[in-house]
Amino acid sequence: MKRKAIKSHLKRHQNQWGVVFVVPAILFFSLFSFYPIVNAVYTSLFRKKVLSLKPPTFIGLENYRYLLTSADFWNSIRATAVFTIGTFVPLLIFSLLLAVLISQVKYGRKYLQMAYYSPAVLSSVVAAAIWLLIFDPRGLANQWVNFVMNSPGVDHSWFANSIMVQFATMLVYFWKYVGYFVIIFIAGMASIPHALYEAARIDGASNWKSFWRITLPLLRPTVVLVSIMSMLQCLKTFSTQYLFTQSGAPQAPINVITMNIYNTGIRDQRIGRASAMSIILFLIMLFFTWLQFKTSKSDEVTY
Amino acid sequence: MKSKNVSVKELYMMRATKILMWIILTISLLFIIAPLVFMLTAAFMPAGDIIKMPYRWIPKGLYTPNFVKAVAGNDGTYIFIRNLLNSLIVAGAVSVTTVLISSITGYSLSKFHYPGRDFIFMGIMATMMIPFEAIMIPLYMVITRMGIQNSYQGLILPFLVNAFGVFMMRQYLVTFPDEFIDAARVDGMSEFAIFRSIILPNSGPAIATLAILAFRSQWDNLLWPLLVAQTEKMKTIPLYIVKFRAEMHTDEGAMMAVALLASIPMFVLFFSLSQYFVSGSAVFSSRKG
Repeated sequence: MKRKAIKSHLKRHQNQWGVVFVVPAILFFSLFSFYPIVNAVYTSLFRKKVLSLKPPTFIGLENYRYLLTSADFWNSIRATAVFTIGTFVPLLIFSLLLAVLISQVKYGRKYLQMAYYSPAVLSSVVAAAIWLLIFDPRGLANQWVNFVMNSPGVDHSWFANSIMVQFATMLVYFWKYVGYFVIIFIAGMASIPHALYEAARIDGASNWKSFWRITLPLLRPTVVLVSIMSMLQCLKTFSTQYLFTQSGAPQAPINVITMNIYNTGIRDQRIGRASAMSIILFLIMLFFTWLQFKTSKSDEVTY
Repeated sequence: MKSKNVSVKELYMMRATKILMWIILTISLLFIIAPLVFMLTAAFMPAGDIIKMPYRWIPKGLYTPNFVKAVAGNDGTYIFIRNLLNSLIVAGAVSVTTVLISSITGYSLSKFHYPGRDFIFMGIMATMMIPFEAIMIPLYMVITRMGIQNSYQGLILPFLVNAFGVFMMRQYLVTFPDEFIDAARVDGMSEFAIFRSIILPNSGPAIATLAILAFRSQWDNLLWPLLVAQTEKMKTIPLYIVKFRAEMHTDEGAMMAVALLASIPMFVLFFSLSQYFVSGSAVFSSRKG
C-alpha cells in the first residue's frame, strides 16, 4: 500500500512536468491564433481605421451588409471561385493520371518523381516571375502555342485580355503544385497491398480493369484529401496574383479575396471592413474543412 | 507467366497504351522542366537574347553582368545581400523554434497524463482551421501594439510553432517506447534532460521533415513581410523580387539571375535532403480520417 502511494506521488510529480511542457504552446496559440480570430469577429462589427484619432464606432453588421452589396467584393468572390475551380480540378485529374503513369515506370522512377516535384521547391514569387517572362508577347508561351496551333506570329495577349490573365495565374499555380500532389498520390498508391493486384491478375483482370476496380476505389480517401487540400490552398492564393498586378497586369480579373483583404485593410486602412472579409473567407474555408471531415469519416479503408 | 492465348489485337492494344503513356509522360515532363531550364539559361544571357523568337536554349557564353545587377540592385545599394540574410535568419529561426516547441508539446501531449490534456490537444488542432490570411490584420495589430513591427521579432513571432508540427510530433512520439523514458527516470534524470537527450535525438526523421517544412514556408512567405517589414533593410527575398520586378521589368536577364539566386538555397536543400521533402507531403496521405 505504501509503495503504491509513493508511486502515485511520483507519477503526479512527473505529470506536473507535462503541464509545464505544454504551457508555451498554450500561450502561443492563445495569443497568435485564438485572440486574433476573436478579435477579427469583434472588429468586423466596427467602423475602424488605423491611425485614425476617431474612436471606432459600433455599426453592427453594417460591414457585412456593405460587402454583400458591393460589386467589388462579389468580383473577388468570383475571381477566387474561378481560380479555385479552374486550378484544383485539373490539378486533381492530372496529378492522379501522372501518378498512375509514373508508378508503371520501371527504371529511374525516383528521378522522375524528383523532376516533377522540383517546381514545388521554388517559392511562389519566383515561379510567377519566371512565367511572367514566358507570357511576354515575344516569349515562350506564344511561341509554343503558335507552334502547336500552327498560327505563326499571333500574340495571345496573356496579360491584356481578362480571360487570358486568369488562365495565366491558374497555369502558374498548376505548374508549381502538380508534382506535389503526384507525390501524395504515389504514397497513397504504395499503401495498397500488392497482393490485391496479384489476385486480380490471376483472375484475368487487365491493368485498366484493376485501375478502375482496385486502385481508384481504395484511393478514394487520398482523392478526397487532395481535392480538399488543393481547394483550401487555392482559396488562399495571393503571391501569384500580387506579383502579376505589381508587374502591370489588370487587377480586376484576378483580384482574389486575399488580395482584396490586403488592399482594404493595409492600403486603404479600413480595418473593420477587411476583418469582415476575413471572417467570410474563414467561414468558406471552415465549410470545406467540415466537408472533408464528414466525407473522410465514412472512408475508413480496411484491407 | 502470361496466358499464351493473347490475341494479336490485344498485343497491339498493349503496345499502343505503352506508347501513349510515354507520350504523355514526355510532354508533361517537358512542361515541368522547360520553365526551370528557361530560368537557368536566361540568367546567363543578355536581355536582347532572351526575348527573341525562337528562344535559343543554349546561351552563347556565360553573360555574368546579370548577376552583378541582381545583387547590386537598381540603385547599387547591395540591399539584396541584406534581404537574403534576413530570409535566412527568419526561416532558420522559425525552423528551430518550430522543431523545439512542437516536440516538447508533442511529448507532453503523448507521454504525460493530466486533466485537460485531450482538450488542449483538440484546441491546438482546431487552430489548423484558422487560415493565416483571415487573421493577418488582427495579428498585425498585435505586433504593432507590442511595438515590434519592422523587426526580426515581428517577422518571426507569429510562426514560432504551428498546429501541424504539434500534431506530427505527437503522432510520432505516441509510439515511442515508454521503457526508455522510465529507465532514464530510474537513473535520476530530470524531466527536461530526458526530453533533451532521449526524446530529441531519437526523433531525427520527424524533426528533419518538420524543419524543412517550416524553412520552406518562411522562404516562400510574401504576405506577412509585406505587412510587417516597412524599411528596405528588414525586407526578405520575396519582397526583393517583387520590388525588382516592378522597378526594372525590362531587364529579363537580371530578373532571372535574381530568381536563380533566390532558389539556390532551396535546391541545395532539396538535392541533399529530398527524402524529407517528399515525406513532408506524404505525411498527409498516411493520415487517417
